[in-house]
Order: sequence, then C-alpha cells, then structure tokens
Amino acid sequence: MKLPARLVWLLLLIVAFVLPGAPPACSGTLDRAAMEREFPAPLMVGERDDKLPIWPIMKQAAGSWEVIAYAFESVDFAAIPGFGGTPPNLLIALQPDGRFMEAKVVSHHEPVFLEGMGSGPLFAFVDQYVGLSAKSAISVGRANARANGAPASTVVDGVSMATASTRVINETMLASALAVARAKLGFGAGRSAGLKVEAKQDGFETLSWSELLSKGYVKRVVVPNREVDRAFADSNVSNADPDSAERPDEPFIDVYAAYLNAPSIGRNLLGDAAFTKLMGEIGPDAHAVLILTAGRWNALGENFVLGSIPGRVAIVQDGLGINARDNAVERRGAGPAGMPDGPWSILRIGGEAGFDPSAPWTLSLKVERERGQILTERVDREFTATYALPESLFTRTRPASGPSWTDSWVARWPELALIGASLVLLVPVLGRERGIVSDAKTFSWFRTGFLIFTLGFIGWYAQGQLSIVTIVATIRAAMTSRDFSFLLYDPPSLVIWIFAIAALAVWGRGTFCGWLCPFGAMQELVALAARPLKIRERQVPPALDVLLRKAKYVVLAGIVVAAATASPLVDPMAEVEPFKTSITLFFLRSWPFVAYAVGLLVLNLFVYKAFCRYLCPLGAALAIGGRLRLLDWIPRRAECGSPCQLCKVRCRYGAIDRAGRVDYAECFQCMDCVTIFHDAQQCVPRVLAAKRPKVRLTTTAEAAE
Amino acid sequence: MIRPTRRKILIGGFGALAATAAGGLALRRLAGDRGVEARTRAGVAFGTTVALTFAGPEPEPLDAAVTAGFAAIRACEAAASLFRADSALSRLNRDGRLDRPDPHLLRLTRFALDLAEASDGAFDPTVQPLWPLWRQAVDEDRRPAPEDLRTAVALVGWRDVDVSDDRIAFRRPGMAMTLNGVLQGYAADLVVAEARRLGVPDAFVDTGEFGAYGASPGGAPWRLGLARAAGAAPDRVLDPFTGFASTSAGAGTPLSRDGQDHHIFDPRTGRSPHLVSEVTALAPSGLIADGLSTAAYVVGETRGRALADRFGASLIMRRDVV
Repeated sequence: MKLPARLVWLLLLIVAFVLPGAPPACSGTLDRAAMEREFPAPLMVGERDDKLPIWPIMKQAAGSWEVIAYAFESVDFAAIPGFGGTPPNLLIALQPDGRFMEAKVVSHHEPVFLEGMGSGPLFAFVDQYVGLSAKSAISVGRANARANGAPASTVVDGVSMATASTRVINETMLASALAVARAKLGFGAGRSAGLKVEAKQDGFETLSWSELLSKGYVKRVVVPNREVDRAFADSNVSNADPDSAERPDEPFIDVYAAYLNAPSIGRNLLGDAAFTKLMGEIGPDAHAVLILTAGRWNALGENFVLGSIPGRVAIVQDGLGINARDNAVERRGAGPAGMPDGPWSILRIGGEAGFDPSAPWTLSLKVERERGQILTERVDREFTATYALPESLFTRTRPASGPSWTDSWVARWPELALIGASLVLLVPVLGRERGIVSDAKTFSWFRTGFLIFTLGFIGWYAQGQLSIVTIVATIRAAMTSRDFSFLLYDPPSLVIWIFAIAALAVWGRGTFCGWLCPFGAMQELVALAARPLKIRERQVPPALDVLLRKAKYVVLAGIVVAAATASPLVDPMAEVEPFKTSITLFFLRSWPFVAYAVGLLVLNLFVYKAFCRYLCPLGAALAIGGRLRLLDWIPRRAECGSPCQLCKVRCRYGAIDRAGRVDYAECFQCMDCVTIFHDAQQCVPRVLAAKRPKVRLTTTAEAAE
Repeated sequence: MIRPTRRKILIGGFGALAATAAGGLALRRLAGDRGVEARTRAGVAFGTTVALTFAGPEPEPLDAAVTAGFAAIRACEAAASLFRADSALSRLNRDGRLDRPDPHLLRLTRFALDLAEASDGAFDPTVQPLWPLWRQAVDEDRRPAPEDLRTAVALVGWRDVDVSDDRIAFRRPGMAMTLNGVLQGYAADLVVAEARRLGVPDAFVDTGEFGAYGASPGGAPWRLGLARAAGAAPDRVLDPFTGFASTSAGAGTPLSRDGQDHHIFDPRTGRSPHLVSEVTALAPSGLIADGLSTAAYVVGETRGRALADRFGASLIMRRDVV
C-alpha cells in the first residue's frame, strides 16, 4: 500500500506541473519543406500569409504567378476532437472557386483506423473530397451511398464501423474550409458547416397584421426624431433636420421587417399565390426577408433600383454582414389589411450566405445627413434592431453528417438494456454476502456464467471493453479542446465506466477487474478450460511479487506523462493492453500483437492473471481510484492470519497478507474468501468452533485496518 | 463582381522569356549550369501576386533576401494597404487623423503629395472616396449617379492633407486617401534595397511593379516583356532591363463592360481618363516609376513626358482606339 501512495503523489505532481506547461497540441505541424513536398514543382508554395497559417499554392502562367489554391492544416482552423480525443489533422488545399484541390490526412488518432482496418480506408474516405465544393453542405452517407444514387457532389461514402470518426473528419473538413473561405475567398460567413435550418412549411396559422406584430413575426422599428437628433448631436450636422426640432416625438424611422419563408408570416403577408411564387423564385435553401418602410425616412433610399443591394439596410448575424439583394418584387398595393402604406423590398439571401433564420439577427439602418450645397458633406449614423423568431417555426437538421450521439444511444438500446440488467443483477449478488455468495457451488456457476457474458456480450458483441485509451483521450481533451463529447459516442463503454467508477467508491477496483473486464474474463475462462491439462500455477516469490505489482503503476505513469505532453509515444505505449487485439479485433491482427495477447493468456495459466496484477495500466488507474473506497467489505475474523492462513493461501491474486489483511488494490472481488468465511465446512475457525462450541467467534470488519 | 486585383501587363523574365513559362525549375536549371544558386518565391500581397527572384553563388544571402524581402512587403502592407482594415492608412481613413504615423506611410504620403503638386493635381492620393461609389455602382451593374460623383469629387483635395512627423490628418471630414498608385513601387524599392544590403548579386523583383539589377541566373541580362493584355504574348521587350518599371493601364481593372470605366480616376471628374491606354514608366526608383505611370496616364503624352523629365524618368506610352 505504500508504493501506490507515493505514485499518487507523483501523478498529482505531474498533473500540477507538467500539464499546465505542456504545449497545446492543436496547431499545425507542416513547415515550408513539408508543404513543398506536397505541392512540388511546377507548383510553388507561396509565402505564407502573415496573419493566418495559410499557404498560397501558386502556378506560373505567362510570366506572372496565380494563386490556384490555399493550403492549410485543418487543426489550425477547426480542432474537433476525434474518437480518440485528439483532433484529426488534415492537409487541405482549397481552390479560389471553393472546391477542394487536395485533401490528405496529416495525423489522426482514430482508434478504428490505427489498427485492424488500418489507415487505408480513412485515406480513401478523405480522397473523396477532392473536386467537391466547400460551398455545399457535404454529408457522410452509408458505405456505398454514391453507388446507390446519392448525389456525388454533396454525399461522400461512409466507412462502416467508423461512423463516429468519419463524422468528425467531415466536420473538420467543412468547418476548416469555411473558416479559410471566410478569410480568403469571401464566402462561408455565418453559421457552422452543414447545419440546415428551414422554416417548417406545415402548421400555417391565419394571422392578421396586428397579430403578426404582437407575436413579433413582423418587427416594427421606430426611432423618433428626438433620438435621431441625439445620435447626430456630436456632429456638425446636428441641426440639419428642421422637422425634427418641431416634432421631436414623431417617428423618423418607421420600418417593418419580416422573415417570409415561414408560412405563418409570408403567406399572411403576401397571400397564397404571391407567397408560393416567391418561394419558387428564390429557390431552395434561400431566404426572403421583407423590409417595409413607412416613416418619413425611406429605408430603401429615394433612388432605389429594383434588384440592387440596398445601401441603407443591412442584415447582420453574429457580427457578419449577410449578403442580401432585392428580389425585384414590387409592392403595388399588396399586403394584408392594416399594413401601412410605403414601398417594400423583398430581399433574397442565398443559401451559401450561411444565414440562420432561427437565430436572432440584427437589422441595421444607416441614416445619412448632408450639409452644404456645393461641397456636400455626409455623416451617417447607424440604428439597429434585433429580429428573432421562435425556434418552433424551424427545423434544424445536420443533413446526415453522421449520427449524433443520441442516435447511437437510441440504436443500441437493447444492448444497453441487457448490460444494465446484468449490472442490476450483479450488485445484490456482490452486496449480500449471505446470499448466493455463501453457497460455493451455485456461486461458482453464477460466476462462470457471468464471465462468459462479460467476454461474449460486453466484450466481443457490444465492444464495451474499457481501456486506458479512454483515459488518455480524456487527458488529451482536457488539455486541448475541453470537449469530452466523444465519450458519448460509445454508450456501452460509458455505462460500464460510470458503473465501474461508482463501484470503485464502494468496493474498489475488483468489481471491474474481476467481473466486467472482458480480457480479465477471457483469462479466467481460459484457465478454467485448461484445468484438465493440470498445469500447476507457479508461486511468484514474495519479493518479486511485490516488485512486479509496482510495475503497472510505472506503466500507467509513463502513459499519463506521454498523454499529458502530447507525445506521439502514447499510442504505441497503450498497446501494452492486449484488449484491442483480443476483444476489438478478435485476434485478426499482425502476428506480433497476436503473439503478445496469446502469450499473456498462456502466462495466465502459470501465473494467474499476471497481466492484470503486474502490467495493466487501467487496473493501476482503478487501484489508485480505489483508494476512495468507503467499505472494507470483506469480512474478517480475529483468527484470520493468526493463526488461520487458509484464505491467504487460497487467494489466487495474492491480495491477502500473512496477517490476514486484504489489500484491496489487488483484490479482484472473486468472493472466494467470502464464500469460505460463510462456509462452516471450510472456514477453519468455524470448523474448530463447531468442535469446541464454547468458543465465541468474533467477526470484525476492522481487522483489515 | 469585379475584384480589385490589378492584372499584370508587364511580364517579368529572366534571359529568355520561354524559361519563365517553365517556372522556378527551369530557372534553377539555368542557374545550375553556371554554378549559380537561384531562389524564386511568390506570394500574395497588395491584393495581387508578387514574386521575388534572387541569384548568386552563395545560397545563404538568397534565403536571407527572400525572408527580408517579404518582411519589407508585409511592412508596406501594414503601413498602407487598403486591403487591410488594420493598416495605418486604413486607420487614418477611418479616423481622419493618425498620430505618430508609420515611417513608411509618412514617406509614401509625402511623395504622393509632392507628385500631386508637380502634376498639378492630376495625380491625387485623396481620390479614395470615389472608390466605394464605383464599387457599389459596379455591384449593381450601373454607373454612379452624377450627383453622387460630384459629392465624392468634392471630397478630393491633396492640399487638405496635413503631414508632419507626428501626425497625418485630413482637414475635411469624409476625406480618404489611397496610396495604391505608389505603394507597390515603393515595396519594390525596399526589397531591392534589402537584396543589395545582403550582398545578393542578381535580383528581379515583382511586387506588382518591377525592379531588377544584375543579370539573370542564365547569365543573360534580365528582360521585361510588355504585353497588350494579361495573358497575351509580349509585343515589346525591354532588353536589358535594370532599374524600376511600372505600368498603368485602364484595361487592367475594368469597372464597366465597355471598358470606359476602370480603376484609375481623374481626380477632377471622378471618371476614368482616356488620353492614353497604357503607360510604362522607367525610373531610378520604384516609387517614382509607379507614381509617374499613374500621373502620366491621367495627363496624357505631352504633359506626361514633361513630368517624367522632372523626375528623371522615361515613359513608354501606347494609345489604342477604344
């Protein structure tokens, strides 16, 4: 128990000193030489932008140089954590017309592509983007979506078994390309990639002009003369408007704005026919906004040209001006009863503008005043109003850009239910020491059955093998993105993590290590199956045993340090776990990995669960966490250890010392000693007591300290 | 939409123009034959592409010159690029005044005002208020309304720019300045000065305007081709070419479909002048070449040549029937 205490301190020190100083892992890694390898002559890697990590890729034509693409690393613009907690990094070259000229994987930590499948399918997946346009919302389809008729310009074929990883790659691709497009190509303003917000076309409600106003579907912006004067007070055109001074409370600006795509707004304002015609005209994905100017100030300007971009009105969202152009729909007296007189403009916002009508936006009105006849001087002031519609008017879809985390929970509910039921079954069995545990034979069957379930269902079927990789990913995420959402994409593992951590606080590491670890179960079942071979388990000499037990903490410390310092060694180090080989990939892997995993299983026949006890970094982490344990739940007697050594000898994990104390950091909760404790035929003090009925047996929980 | 990118009419060349088409590789081969190292680095600056070529026996000064050259270009952008909202010039335009101005901005402004005086206002850095007017009109596929044009022209006036070491300020609100007529030439000056300082024996600098000294890596003199339009084969070649050259051509950035309107404004009318269709100025500095080509474009041949004489420059002019 002493060594782990010291190691806890070591780990705490690492967390305290190493972590804050470690460099953030989220920045590009390619230098000029690397870029020149990617874009060799006759292309030239131009001088890097001095503000953003973007390299112009240039080509010489007729003596001068042209930019044919902008190359960048995705991690500089969109560091979206992948399934392994680390953002994938892609090298992307975006052409001035918005199409991808090049898309390549620089680095990734997606476990599914690291081994087993290998990176090949990932590279092929990313290759599909070459030639597609970042202006369209590209989504990931099923593995053969394109062959089955999905539009090749907006859908890429997914990779089965890797939906979560491909989703992250797709998001990374689009989000970083849009960020660069905003900086260099003049499109992509507004919202996040792929999000599609549409007005619901059902649920039409007949509303009058006054109802539209009171619901906020039509926004009225009124600014009285007095306020306009005040805005110009510090300028030399403060008194340029004599009407204002006479009637200070009368409106100067009186403008109405409405988002037309929602039928309850557009259909009520325009009427059936005009609404349908307008929606057809602007086309899919586009938006229409009505600006009606009623006051004495004309929001459209006196010389407004149909079809132009209005100079005085601007639509702004998230600080970015949205490109909106008059759609040349003249009013000619149209509009519902009660709508004030005045000209209107119906503005069209194209789908590529990234406008999100379900989010608030700002109507910005620019009022200009002039002074002087010959040398006219103009001063302008801006007045703004916010327009917001209830979200219920819209559907927000991420067009099949891969499943959201809720999808995987919904889709896997039968698995989750069965795992949940098994945990519900396990708790009372382990908790009630006088229950099934006290019956050696029944309990032995139960235990074997449960381990088969753990290996077969939790492990191989549901892929719920917990792993140090998750801890590494969590450390990485904590240091870089602070986005832990990747945990949600693996429901069985998350359920078992939560249960294992809760059990840690009650019983210690044993609940997971002895019952829920598929590889642990595999070792135990192999040992069971090999029993007819009559292999004698070797006793590790006590001194060596103590030393070897420390080894797993060293392995853990190494991995944690590597993860915290963003060392590339962390992935190979995590291979100390044979879980990926034996559970995830079912031993279908290159031979050194298979040899290692099988070797551990064979070793297990001689030194029982040697991997778990001596090497497993996850076990070490849980053992450290197990120090929070509230209960010393293994019952002990005064006779335990002195003189009785039965449990010590029978404990296959060596977790009971000569004094009869239980080392919970090494206990796998196999319950053997509990069964013995309650068995009048086995427990030596009880056997003796039965012979000498006068002796009172003492039960003490404090005996273990 | 027309992007404010100045298209190239001048074509840079080293030795044989044919080599330029093959790019840096051919250049390096040429250099290699003579045991000379060569470096070409292109980039994006001033809203267009720029390219620096250096050659010499040692690679180190060449690499240093590439780095220093681009640093000089970035410094010019930070001082006076209107493509950057945070440049010193953009801030001056926004606030109407700028305290402790950037030394590059100061030098550029002083030269632009000198040239304005010498050309009697034919070159005027304060034509900037015309630009948004034309941009908006072009976006709407029309010409600016005459009254709007008059209003903008009324804001033009180089005499209303106050310059001292501590401050640049406009005397009237609404004024704004552009140094695009001199900035790229000035950048060529700075890059050439850096290359000379670092001991680079041969340099060819394209910052949108051109500067060269020494010889091409192949051993032949630098040559500069003049083409009638971007992408066309040069119909006139300056051979040898050393010093600085700058071209102003209305066709480089047309604002209207018939080519009547383009990015060079006559400060007095707010419209595009048509006395000549193209002016190339050769001068001992890029700053002078750049400014003179613009000024001569506005005033035409006779007055243009007189102006060039005063600055020690020479002009090549072309007049096409529009």
